[in-house]
Formats: sequence, structure tokens, C-alpha cells
Amino acid sequence: MPYIEVLGQQIEVDEDGYIQDPSIWTPEIAKAMAPMEQINELTDEHWKVINYLRDYYMKFGICPMIRKLCKDTGYTLKKIYELFPTGPAKGACKLAGAPKPTGCV
Amino acid sequence: MAAEKKLKAPKKATEAELRAIHIKPVPDEEKPQVALELLRRYKDEWRSLVMAMETCVKCGLCAENCHSYLGTRDPYNIPAKRADLMRKVWKRYFTPQGRLFGWLVGAEDITLETLEMWYSYFYQCSECRRCGHVCPFGIDTCEVTMAGRRILHQLGMVPKLHATTGAAMLKSGNHMALTPAGIQDTLEFLSDEIEEENGFRIEFPVDKPDSDILYVPSSADFMLNPETLKGAARFFHYIGANWTITTRMTEAGNFGYLFDQALVQKELVNRLFQEAVRLNVKKIVWGECGHGWRAIKMYYNTMADLPHRIPITHILDEAAEYVKRGLLKLDKSKNPEPTTLHDPCNYVRACGLAENLRVLIKAACADFREMEPNREKNFCCGGGSGILFDDPDMYELRIKFSLKKAEQIRATGAKVLCAPCSICKAQFHPMIEEHHLGVELYGLIDLVGRALVWD
Repeated sequence: MPYIEVLGQQIEVDEDGYIQDPSIWTPEIAKAMAPMEQINELTDEHWKVINYLRDYYMKFGICPMIRKLCKDTGYTLKKIYELFPTGPAKGACKLAGAPKPTGCV
Repeated sequence: MAAEKKLKAPKKATEAELRAIHIKPVPDEEKPQVALELLRRYKDEWRSLVMAMETCVKCGLCAENCHSYLGTRDPYNIPAKRADLMRKVWKRYFTPQGRLFGWLVGAEDITLETLEMWYSYFYQCSECRRCGHVCPFGIDTCEVTMAGRRILHQLGMVPKLHATTGAAMLKSGNHMALTPAGIQDTLEFLSDEIEEENGFRIEFPVDKPDSDILYVPSSADFMLNPETLKGAARFFHYIGANWTITTRMTEAGNFGYLFDQALVQKELVNRLFQEAVRLNVKKIVWGECGHGWRAIKMYYNTMADLPHRIPITHILDEAAEYVKRGLLKLDKSKNPEPTTLHDPCNYVRACGLAENLRVLIKAACADFREMEPNREKNFCCGGGSGILFDDPDMYELRIKFSLKKAEQIRATGAKVLCAPCSICKAQFHPMIEEHHLGVELYGLIDLVGRALVWD
């Protein structure tokens, strides 16, 4: 199983880089994942999205509909893509510790 | 012989992921033998497969009719040649000339390399059945892909996407691992949106016993296609239906149909009926999902453990019936942009939906433009049967598989693309960008819901 190293600890991820156990998520894990998602540095705008997704995931057990993400953060989809070049599901939700989406995506 | 160059193939499921769909992988050295035993069993019970194996004369008509071949020009994507990957084995073990003369008559031993070729090419076929439609002998090559994938599944050779989707379905009752709380919250959000747009609120009744209609949406609608859910709610509200959505079986798709054709597929059908009985519904109405509609409409009575008498219809057939009877007042000017329709393969080549799609789109849109060819002659979106892989090699192939479709769409000059199927939508979302098509994407009930005139 592949892993990423965070603060000297090995964190298990799947082949696409999603963490295996969403409950172990920490902000440091998001920081460690950022370069793999083509993000140089996580800014306040990134954290606004990540924290929103993290809270939503913990409360509802899924990631929100993309349109809800935009409405609740006040960012357009274009802006989300600027922040997370690999996209909302495969970039932002990954950094927030959610598992890889399945089905027709 | 197997290709020298590295085969393009989707990432395979790990052992843990296979365990979640109750598959124990067969050790490599035993795989060819087990595959052969399975094929021998199918020979005795799968008539359409026998026909495909023994009838083809290699006339080649299927070649130019396959979007996978047109997009890649890879000879193994010619349906007849793809089927030959299995036919060689069939010949070698099940025919006298193959047993006696081997390669002289095109027969070949089954090896691990054969199975890797199957895995690569049976997951480049989208099971669209356009080749079957044009075959002068009526050979349905899709049945070969299905048999191949079914064998590979039992060996433990399943794409990660299909296996994890199957596992999500077994765990959550839907492909996207939606939770009841997540479903509820999403639907409330959509009710808010409807309230903003229509000036009045429409609720989505969830898990409501004694409903007349159980509406079965695609789980992808909760993530990617909000307008499809809203369109359905508007339609049901307009006709005054007593309807509900269940959180236990929130899935119109059936990925089991796409890789195992037995266990996972059957489980989903049985859960659906348990849920229909639990909620005491009178009718089941299907959402926008192509393969899922075929999987339930055409297979449920051989898959369900109990005989069921609950009628199942498609929301687009339902809505078309209302339009034909003059019971839906629609204002086309609400959909003024030039609009074209992508016919989902399973709707038009397997389920007879082609005319009703047109009844609806012509009633709901001011400037409808057919793409050519259309109806049962239409080309696949390139993502059919869930080959929505995102590993780089496979993603590149998806772009090629949708080349023909992109040409068709571009030629219409449309600004709106209507694709009433979740796999098609999931394929189009990125492909519209890749091919610079500049169209907006909707389902069909979305456009109907938007055109409704409320008195």
C-alpha cells in the first residue's frame, strides 16, 4: 500500500493518493497532499474550501453537491478550479480527507 | 499472439477491494483453466454467445460502425476482431477443427496473456450494441464483452472503478456511497433552489410509506446533475403525484450488470423490490440512467428472487404519456437555445425509448436539432458501460472514443446538449471541454421541468 509522509509519520493512501481512513485527517495531511494536486501553497481561500468540505463530510458522510459547495463558499466553479486545478472532487475533496468518489463521475 | 507493446488497461481492483464485492482472486497459474471452465459452462447456457462465437463471417461491416474503432483505429477495437480474442479460444477447445489443426484454423491456447488482452479490450468496448444493430447476421457482440467481463470478474480481474462502485452499492444501496443524511440535506438544498426559481417550494418526500410512486434516481444526480432531480420533482408535483425517494436504494444504475452480470446485479434488483414492498408503493418510476434502465426493464424477472407484480416505468415514458394526452402545459420559450439530443444507447437500442424522447424534447424546446445519425443508429458517448476511467492512458482513450460523438454534436450548431443518462453525462462533462464543444449539458426531464407552465 502506498503512503505519504506527514510530520515523520507514514499515512496510508490508495493508488490515487486518497487517505484510506478519513477519520485520521489533519490539516498537515492536506498540506502534504497539496503538491500532488498541483497546488504550491495552501492559502486562506484554499482553507475556506477545505474546512467547509471537511465539516460537511463529518456531518453528512458525503461531499456536498458541487453547486452547494459554490453557493456556501461564495466561490464560482471557475474559482474552485483555479484553487484546485484537479477539480472539486478529485482535488478539493481529496485534500479534505474524503475517499475517492465512485459511480458515474 | 498477444501484442508486444504494453496493453492499455484500467487500473485493477486490489485484493481488499475485491473482497468487498465478495471475490477471492484466482491465483495466476490457475486463471486460464478456470476461465476455460467458465467459458465451457456458458457454451451450454448462453445462446447469444454461442451464436456470436459460431456465426461471424468477418464481413467487417461492424468496423466503421464502432466509435471505439473510429476513434482509435486499433484493429482490436473492430467488434469482430475483439470478439475473436474469445473466438480463438472457443475454436481451440470446443471445435473438432480447432482441436486437430490449432493455429492453422485460427485457434489458440488460452494463457494469462489472452486474459490480459480480454481485460484490455473488453473494457474498451462500451457495450453500446451499435455493431449488433448493423450485423447482417444479428450477432450481438456486446454479449461477448459481457461474457468476457463476467469471466474476468470471477478470476478477480475487475477495474477498480467497477469494483469500488459495486462495493459502495452493497454497502450504501447506491453507487456513490451517499448516506441518508447526505441525501436528505442535498434534497433540501434543491428544494431551496426550486423555491428561489419558481417562487414556491417543492419538497422531495423521502422514505414516505404508502406512496403511490417510488422514484429511483441515479445517485450521480446528487453530485453532478441537480437539474435532473429538480426536473423530476417539478414533474411529479405538477401531476399531483404521491411520490417518494428511498434512502435505502437510491440508485437507478446497476454496475453489477456491467461487470458481474449475477451477484451484484441481482442484489440490487432484490433490494429494490424489498424497498418497494416496505414502502407499499404502487408503481416504480425509473430516473435518467441508460444501462440501469435496461438492467431493470429487461432483466428484473430473471434476477428477482420473488415474482413481483409492481409495475416499473421510466420517468421519460411517463412524462411523454402526459404530453401526448395534453396534460402537461409546456412553454418552449423557457428553453430557447438550439438544443440537440444524444440518444443513450441502452434507451434506443434496447428499451424502445427513441420516439418518446422526441415527444418530450419537441414539446419542451423551441429549437430542437437532430444530430445525425440518430435514434437506434446513434453513436455512443464513449463512456458506455461505465468505462469512465481516469488513469491517464484510459482517459486519453475516452477522448478518442468520443471523437465521433463530438463531430455529431458540433455539426448541429447546438448550444445545449441533452443527454438523459448519468454515464453519458459523466462522460460529457469533461469531453465537452476536451473537444471544445461549448455546449451546456442537461438531462431531458430537466428541460421538461423548466418548461412547465404553472397556473
